[in-house]
Amino acid sequence: MQKRKSLIKIKPKKFKDGEIVKVSFMVMHPMDTGTQKHKETKELIPAKFINNVKFNYNGKDITNMTVWESLSTNPVFTTYMKVDGKGTLKVTYTDNTGEVNEKSKKIKPKG
Amino acid sequence: MQRRDFFKKLGLVAAASALTPAISFASETKVVSKNTMSYQTAVDAITGGKTVTVSSKIKLKVPEIAENGAVVPVTVNIDSPMTENNYVKAIHILASHNFNARSIDVYLTPANGKAMFSTRIKLGGTQDVTALVELSNGDFISASQNVKVTIGGCG
Amino acid sequence: MKTGIKIALSITLLSSLSFAGEQFAMSDSDRAMYTDMLENNPADLMISNGEELLEEYCGGDAGVAAFFNISEDDLPAYIAGFPRYLKEFKQVVTVSQALQGLMSKNTHKPFKLKSSDMFDMSAYVKTLANGEKSNIDVNADKYIKEAFVLGEKTYMTARGGRGLSCNSCHSADIVGAVLRTQPLPDLTSKGVAVAATWPAYRMTKSSLRTLPRRFQGCMKNALLKVIPLGSPEMVALEVYLTHEAKGTEVAIPGLKR
Repeated sequence: MQKRKSLIKIKPKKFKDGEIVKVSFMVMHPMDTGTQKHKETKELIPAKFINNVKFNYNGKDITNMTVWESLSTNPVFTTYMKVDGKGTLKVTYTDNTGEVNEKSKKIKPKG
Repeated sequence: MQRRDFFKKLGLVAAASALTPAISFASETKVVSKNTMSYQTAVDAITGGKTVTVSSKIKLKVPEIAENGAVVPVTVNIDSPMTENNYVKAIHILASHNFNARSIDVYLTPANGKAMFSTRIKLGGTQDVTALVELSNGDFISASQNVKVTIGGCG
Repeated sequence: MKTGIKIALSITLLSSLSFAGEQFAMSDSDRAMYTDMLENNPADLMISNGEELLEEYCGGDAGVAAFFNISEDDLPAYIAGFPRYLKEFKQVVTVSQALQGLMSKNTHKPFKLKSSDMFDMSAYVKTLANGEKSNIDVNADKYIKEAFVLGEKTYMTARGGRGLSCNSCHSADIVGAVLRTQPLPDLTSKGVAVAATWPAYRMTKSSLRTLPRRFQGCMKNALLKVIPLGSPEMVALEVYLTHEAKGTEVAIPGLKR
């Protein structure tokens, strides 16, 4: 499993149980479409792009995304989530070459 | 200043000069990716032929003029209670003239709390960006906006 | 990053957001959208990578402070004063060059100035100066004085196939004119934040880039012979433009076209 740089951001940083917070997942990934030629070699750069992202919170899949190659390089995925107790937000993502990765963040509501 | 205004007009009119965009137009590309799909085919695949109603319930935010085609911000917001009986099931973002009109399909659940999604997409040139939304009752609504993509600058 | 600095950071970035000509061509609603993107600047990923690289090859923040013979508390303001003349290098150096020296000292092969590892690592080090006022002192010694003079000369010298200098397109009186669909930004008026918002994520390159690297891209398009990174002229250019940004708050990473 390749170690990719990624970040999960929750806004606001401090939140209460029951609050609806903004969640962003950002990852370093080329998102190559497979239709671009390399500048110097003139060869086609093979397609390599994230094709699926899942947000799993306390064991339940809360958001599922089918991603296509037209998302920008180093993509970001932002949505909201309702805080429902202490737990873990786990993001699992796969790409078209079969690479699978995950990133987790502890959810700790205050009050 | 007169000269400055003249140059400003010239620049805006000369927008979209040809340099290599990060993603190709469906009509221009000779290389066909196996994901090539036209806008209408994509819509039909998503809706199964059902009617789509244009709705102001969807707030689609994309720039009128994109600084560049590689990184175009897109934000979709739908007013929805997001309860088990009434929530936004899916947000599909489409680009009318990309070789693959589909950008992303986001499947939400009531656990999301709010019907919103934001990301950045590649646009191969000036075209319409559409948010095609599926509601939990099976209805499809949509909103579109044209985005002018400028390809220029030095360096 | 401390909350206070983070807030100040956003305000500075907002006011100095330098999408070429944001003062002229972008609508207010479009600008708001691009400003929102700062919340999730892809450069944050590269800087996180840079932090790890610094830890591995240079002993982290502590290693860098020790190399400069200063305390870690003094590091932010010190970084905000680069490029500097450093005795052990016998010349004026940028942060990247200083880090090359530190890597050598730790018996590692230094990253090339043009490598993404160096961009990431030097960018991380520069974020330590966020919130500080850019404080380069071009009168500190004779070496930096010379570099400033050379930098101004390089900026003003017309050369290449079209007889252009940097000043031909970036002087205060031509600012706003549109070239290849992009309005030309001012780089030299006092307090223009340009140098304080680099390194930045460049959307058209989908990568983190440094200011000298950006100069090279511009030179190539203007048909000027590209000046090598780390050369006296390139370091001098950075000194000159950093001095023009003196007093502005450092706000890194930026986000640019």
